[in-house]
Amino acid sequence: MIHILLAIIAFSGIPSLGLAEPVSHSYQHELVEQARQARLADEREWLLLLHYQDNFLGGVTSEEDDPGFFLSPHGKHDPQAELDATITQFFSADPVGRSKQPAQCAFIARYHWLKERLRFDPERLTPLSCERFDRWRAEMNPQGISLIFPAAFLNNPASMFGHTFLRIDQKGQTEQTRLLAYTIDYAADVPPDVGVEYAYKGIWGGYKGFFSTPPYYLKVQAYRDIENRDMWEYPLNLTADQIDRLLMHAWEMGNAYFDYFFFKENCSYHILSLLEYANPALHLRDRFSLWTIPADTVRAIVDSPGLVGTAVYRPSRSTIIKRKRVLMTGEEQALSNRVANSPDVIRDAVFAGLPTNRRAFILDVASDYLRYKGESDDPEVTVYKERNRAVLTERSKLSIPSEDIEIRPFTKQPDVGHRTSRVTLGGGWRNQDTFEEASFRAVYHDLLDPERGYTPDAQIEAFGVTVRHYNRAEQTRVERATLINIVSLSPIDSLFRAPSWKANVGMQTIQRNGCRLCSNGVFSGGMGGAVESALFKREVLYAFAEAEANISPAFHEYHRVGGGATLGVLADVTDRWKLMGSGSYLRYPLGDKSDEIRWYVGSRLTLAQNWAVRLDYHHRDRDDDVVCSIQAFF
Amino acid sequence: MKKLVMLSVAAAFAMQGGLVLAAGTPDTGPGCGLGKLAFQNYPNAKTKGAQVVMALLNGTGGNTFAISTGTSGCTDDGRVWAEQKVTMFAELNSNALAQEMAQGRGEHLASMATLLGVPQQHHSTFFGMAQTQYTSLAQAGDLSAGAMVKALNEGIAANPALAKVALN
Repeated sequence: MIHILLAIIAFSGIPSLGLAEPVSHSYQHELVEQARQARLADEREWLLLLHYQDNFLGGVTSEEDDPGFFLSPHGKHDPQAELDATITQFFSADPVGRSKQPAQCAFIARYHWLKERLRFDPERLTPLSCERFDRWRAEMNPQGISLIFPAAFLNNPASMFGHTFLRIDQKGQTEQTRLLAYTIDYAADVPPDVGVEYAYKGIWGGYKGFFSTPPYYLKVQAYRDIENRDMWEYPLNLTADQIDRLLMHAWEMGNAYFDYFFFKENCSYHILSLLEYANPALHLRDRFSLWTIPADTVRAIVDSPGLVGTAVYRPSRSTIIKRKRVLMTGEEQALSNRVANSPDVIRDAVFAGLPTNRRAFILDVASDYLRYKGESDDPEVTVYKERNRAVLTERSKLSIPSEDIEIRPFTKQPDVGHRTSRVTLGGGWRNQDTFEEASFRAVYHDLLDPERGYTPDAQIEAFGVTVRHYNRAEQTRVERATLINIVSLSPIDSLFRAPSWKANVGMQTIQRNGCRLCSNGVFSGGMGGAVESALFKREVLYAFAEAEANISPAFHEYHRVGGGATLGVLADVTDRWKLMGSGSYLRYPLGDKSDEIRWYVGSRLTLAQNWAVRLDYHHRDRDDDVVCSIQAFF
Repeated sequence: MKKLVMLSVAAAFAMQGGLVLAAGTPDTGPGCGLGKLAFQNYPNAKTKGAQVVMALLNGTGGNTFAISTGTSGCTDDGRVWAEQKVTMFAELNSNALAQEMAQGRGEHLASMATLLGVPQQHHSTFFGMAQTQYTSLAQAGDLSAGAMVKALNEGIAANPALAKVALN
């Protein structure tokens, strides 16, 4: 009786928010006790919802960095306290969190999970209606979820690491209307005028990362149109219930930010956390301890049995242009180039005399190219847009729809690529000595590594070390170390002209001036060009002008600085066998005045997705080095 | 650097928030601030170093589409207001839309048809109409997003097969 009186007084005394105030303190204590008995705070689902990870002190800490995410002041380190506080807060309609909703709505995934496990009695804990969530979910209109992976873009090997986000596929969505779906994306909030601190802050968590839901068309525009990247869409097999869980947890994430750590807690890592809550049987993040590379997360997802359907390819504009051009005769290609340069060509008799569908195709390719140039950093952007307008006007007059052409990718899908880190075991000889060597490379892919699933002609290596034991010299030493070694080859053709470039910071072992085995620090960079040929299967010929600085006790004055040129060729002999050869001439006017000719020949044979055999031959002045090794990617 | 450009633009969009409604911006669409999101009109600048670093971090600006954080510009907790969808789509995709209208096919055109309420089976009729409309627009010299939407709507209304079934 007294309980009912108290309830009535409490109910009438509180300013109404239009919501029923669920009051029942004893039931609250009952639930908290029940939860403790069932040890729910230890369960995987609770740990997933609160993003707890083991810490060094034997306990757990949540990766969440926004205090608004926790209902208990100790929530970040104490799952039990957070659970108690969460249950308690469900009894109130006070707005909490950054999203300013009652706890049942702000933390709707927690609510639904606890409701199910503790079998909430709706009489004693009144369920609140969560209109904002309901509207949001209705708008998302979920039928399925796809994982989207934008691949690398031309001329930027760093983008090989990729990015991942989710797309919420809508009911009634067709192949033609994927653009209208919403996405769930995790990204760092970076202020516009950012400079060098971008790298520093990105690595050490200086930026906040948020989840957001931009429409897919914006993502396609950003990645495919502006950055010119191929995209891969992996449909995920999740049940309706799992999709609901994912969406509810994503809604909760609106309350919070994580400090963005480029290496580990990046876009892909947090996307995995959503998938793990959708299906706690998935342990996708387990294999990522020090760093999370997006392409690796795609592999982790593909490795989960039954989780992924058939990947769908979405070509970048440059891929579209290249594939379409091949379908034109030489004359049509020339016409297309001329139209793009000067749309008046359309009125020429040569053009006008062609069949309508060929004219349409020529204009389409010209328009694709003008759009490509129009989105680039070319200063003549407005000129390209004008020309495109003229081309499209003429195109529309032809009154026939363009054919749908299947655009095949130049690379295989990224998950079939070799894994990220590499270890190598080998042996060989150098001058009058033989040696064994072992090496480790943290990331990522060099020009000779198996290219399946990777952007061709691009290299980015970082954090590598090679140790050798020379048998006659009886010396074990660090033979080579790589801090960063990037090469970007961009084959030039009549349409695509971008410079190739390279940069290298590392250390190697040289023989010079009486010193048999001397460490040498190397800093070099180069700019040049490349062309593609098809003598056998596919070759890329390249040339660089470069500058180099060496630091070593082997040199007079301990250093030398100079520059020169390199010519090289990278050749696909068969699907599994790739060859590389290069020759360099460098002259060093500063420090130890000298010059040098170098040769390199390398051969790689792929054994399996994550296994290869290499043969490398380096020649410098009276210094010949041959290594044969076996490589494993993991 | 394009990324920086995009995100600074999106950040500008986000910061307007609810004030946009009151201020009545001159951009297309009531209070959306969409003009600022027209990336394609933004001047370009690029430094290789910044590009490399940006690719690694994949930064993005803005709480425009942030989940469950309330109203911002034309979005509510990250979902676009129903009445703004067509305008927003046209404005943000005007280049693609223009190309596809002229070509009489494409994803953006099909998506536009869907937003305008044209059912799947009538899409090819819609595409043909769009292509004709493009020629008119080009000759009139106005290919802005607003003009495209207007022309498409007029085309639907004027075409007996489409006008009957479009549920706008």
